[in-house]
Amino acid sequence: MSNAPAEEIPAEEIDLTEANEVIDKYLTLPGNLMPVLQGIQEAYGYVPKPTIDLVAERLNVYPSQIYGVLTFYAQFHLKPRGRFIIRVCVGTACHVQGAERITETFFGRLGIGHAETTEDLRYTFEKVACLGACGMAPLAMVNDDTFGKMTVQKVDEIIETYNARPMK
Amino acid sequence: MVNLTINGKQVAVEKDATIYDAAKACGIKIPILCHDKKLHPFGGCRMCLVEVEQMKGRLIPACTTPVTEGMIVQTTTDEIVKARKLVLELLLLKHPIDCPVCDAAGDCDLQNLTYEYKVNMNRFVDEKFNHEIDYENPLIERDMNRCIHCGKCARICDEIVSYGAYTFINRGIEAKMGTEFDGPLNCEFCGSCVSVCPVGALNSRPFKFKARWWALQKTKSVCSYCGTGCQLTLGSKDGKVLTTIYDENQGFHNGQLCTRGRFGYQFVNSDKRLTTPLVRKNGKLQEATWEEALAEVTSRLSAGKSDPASVAALATPRLTNEELFLLEKVFRGTIGTDNIDHSAGFAHEALTKGAVASFGVAASPSEIADIQKSNLLLVVKSDAYETHPVIGFEINLGVKRKGVAIRIVSDKKGKLTRLPGAKTTVHTPGSEVALFNALCKSVIDQGLVAEGVAGLDALKAAVADATAEKAGVTAEEIAAIAKDYATAEKALIILPIGLGYPGHNAALASAAGNLAILTGKIGKEGSGLLIMGEKNNSQGAVDMGIYPKGTGLAASAIIDGCANGNVKTLFVAGENPVVSYPNRKKVEKALENVEFMVVADLFLTETAALADVVLPACSFAEKNGTYTSLGRRVQNVRKAIPAVGLAKSDFEILSAISQALGGARYNNQGEVFTEIAATVPAYKGLSQAGLKDEGAVYPVSVAAKLVPVQAKAVAPAAGKLAMVTGSALYHCGTMSRFGEGPMYVCPDAYAELNVADASALKIAEGDQVTVTSATGAVQVAAKVGKRVPQGVVFSPYHFGEGSVNTITDGAEVTYVTVAKK
Repeated sequence: MSNAPAEEIPAEEIDLTEANEVIDKYLTLPGNLMPVLQGIQEAYGYVPKPTIDLVAERLNVYPSQIYGVLTFYAQFHLKPRGRFIIRVCVGTACHVQGAERITETFFGRLGIGHAETTEDLRYTFEKVACLGACGMAPLAMVNDDTFGKMTVQKVDEIIETYNARPMK
Repeated sequence: MVNLTINGKQVAVEKDATIYDAAKACGIKIPILCHDKKLHPFGGCRMCLVEVEQMKGRLIPACTTPVTEGMIVQTTTDEIVKARKLVLELLLLKHPIDCPVCDAAGDCDLQNLTYEYKVNMNRFVDEKFNHEIDYENPLIERDMNRCIHCGKCARICDEIVSYGAYTFINRGIEAKMGTEFDGPLNCEFCGSCVSVCPVGALNSRPFKFKARWWALQKTKSVCSYCGTGCQLTLGSKDGKVLTTIYDENQGFHNGQLCTRGRFGYQFVNSDKRLTTPLVRKNGKLQEATWEEALAEVTSRLSAGKSDPASVAALATPRLTNEELFLLEKVFRGTIGTDNIDHSAGFAHEALTKGAVASFGVAASPSEIADIQKSNLLLVVKSDAYETHPVIGFEINLGVKRKGVAIRIVSDKKGKLTRLPGAKTTVHTPGSEVALFNALCKSVIDQGLVAEGVAGLDALKAAVADATAEKAGVTAEEIAAIAKDYATAEKALIILPIGLGYPGHNAALASAAGNLAILTGKIGKEGSGLLIMGEKNNSQGAVDMGIYPKGTGLAASAIIDGCANGNVKTLFVAGENPVVSYPNRKKVEKALENVEFMVVADLFLTETAALADVVLPACSFAEKNGTYTSLGRRVQNVRKAIPAVGLAKSDFEILSAISQALGGARYNNQGEVFTEIAATVPAYKGLSQAGLKDEGAVYPVSVAAKLVPVQAKAVAPAAGKLAMVTGSALYHCGTMSRFGEGPMYVCPDAYAELNVADASALKIAEGDQVTVTSATGAVQVAAKVGKRVPQGVVFSPYHFGEGSVNTITDGAEVTYVTVAKK
């Protein structure tokens, strides 16, 4: 049941230059809202609130409708995302292979839950339904790297590895 | 036409009709939850499922399926009933059964259908929603737990209101009707969403827990705010108006209302209503009996008969036609004075002088229905939306549904400028006449003049030196508008008038009329000029002759007469010159000076406080009569509740005065209407009974004539901002201040500045600022935005505190300085 409170979106000051460039690119294209929002997300890593107001103003679309689109598609994010996106499969095969323990361990180690981001913006954690590699269950991915036959020990190894990686 | 059979009945309908429309046309009811005749078909609720012989094997939604020739439709079979029951069961799975405390009970489509389909058990079990209820705004309560996701609120807000406050947010089971960032509702609060909500998810907060729906007495009447003449149904109980009830079959607007119409009714039962006459004794207004008060008034007026020039009357165009007719008869007939006027004199000039000169009638040559029939609308000031919001809805519909092009010439941007394809030309404040002259010149230069236009040479000479620069716009813009306007097959000019628009005068009406006549856009459906009177009966006041016709004094001269002693007795019926006429100080001084002033009003207004006798008058809900709206539609106003306190209607007051002065006697207001129909040529043949619910548009015969007008030179003052006045969306005149709804949303006077000016003056949103003109200074809150261009300040005029007329003197534009307090 959706009883989640309205997402707390912090007021932020951002440079709108890139957003304006994206809008310029698609301005005359019919049905341009999706490519514009995708372009903005690519540029900023997420869709910052000030860009929604900008898109509303420049494309003459209601801000409410933009918000509707952004919350409908799982591909859009309204909050900054981590440098490393950890995705743990909880699909059928991974589930029977103990994916629950893997996710719980990540939660404990990182101090975040599903679809949350660490304060230092290093990690975002997501449970996903299937990554299409059931033979390697239980499976985890960090950005484009794949980790099959996951164990609780491997969780610590992964975190250690990516803690050492640079943020940029 | 397409022929089909529904439940064995033959029916022929238009080819763009749906099965639902066809069933409705032959009297067969198909249940609906998400469908609304005003909105595009949605097909979301699946209540309207029917069987179609040619589409066997599945049930077909009637509201989205177009009819085809020979279609055979069944609307109630066992299978259909079963499917509808399932839909209801699924809806009731989430919908709380809190009908005993729900304000929609009795008027709830879901409740009614559940009853009709006898859904007394549910095969499914699930948790209810647990959404937080939005109590953030004072007018609309949003309880999304009761929402059945019909989407009507989002669609009406988009399609008709064009605000777009709502949308479906999230996905799947988590989907709900929400707002931007799922925040509290923050919109125009017109309440259209409340009116179409089929359940109790959206409620009117002022009506909450006031009465059960079935206990309300329902009275069809006409809104008493602006000149649009929206019909409404008042819901009353125990002598109080408790709400307005939505009726989708009322009026040209299909029951649509704006904030003031829907939520502004509370002034009727306001605690501030005058309930007893007041007479000034020892310098103080004290309670008195009607006999005492009327005796004083009639003795003064009776004495005035020997010196009629010393008597004057100012009447509000909020009174009924019958009351205004009687007032005119008492003052012009019985007393013999021509000193009668309304709306500060200037606010009706576009009709009484401009339209008379250009079209030979003191009325708009066009009607409201022309808006949607036009090809191009030329709107003077974006304010058309603020002054007449429901006309704004008509414009929205015309532009978005019928593809009507829209050009706006304005001194600021507004909501209409955001319509698809809208082109807004922002001109120098006060240069409207110059702009229309430049348009006329451009039409002539581009060779777009219609054939056989008489008096062309005089106009040519008059506009010879009209240039776009004089209106502060480019020659290209003028040429483009002139071309679009002249080449459109049908084009309509929309011109709002009122106390906030001193520049919208006779000259502007004629200048706009010239453009229409020059291009042959007069006397055709969907074309012409729609002059939009500010108040509910502005057109009626003109028709009843509430303005000086001979040597009488106009409103400003009456005020001057009060100041210099020439006017000794002033009768004020509902007007509030202290707040609404230009130059407050001057008006106050004059009204303090006049020997004897009697004010009949609902409230102890700023003007009434200066009176010698105050008579408590009735609101529109307490009387019968007629109003004439801006499209010349005469409509019945009906009594919903008994008079508040000892209040008497202006008809009763004037009737008593008339009798005491030996004038005409009438037993009831209906007799006056009979006389109006007999003596006012335009109203010939009308009767109150004949007006029925829909009213009647009286015809005009237009004798169009070019009337060259000279534009006043606009002289911007160096270092000063140009202040323009006008109407705030939530208010109309000074009466809406006594309605809780409008006051919740917009309680105080403000000055709206451009962000650039504001930052240069170091003014932030909400700061208290002092606005100073040559006439005076006033303190108001600042509003900062991009709507007004740089160098311009906008301020609405409705408010008593910080009233903008403290600093205006009747000029089109007031040059001011703005400083942070």
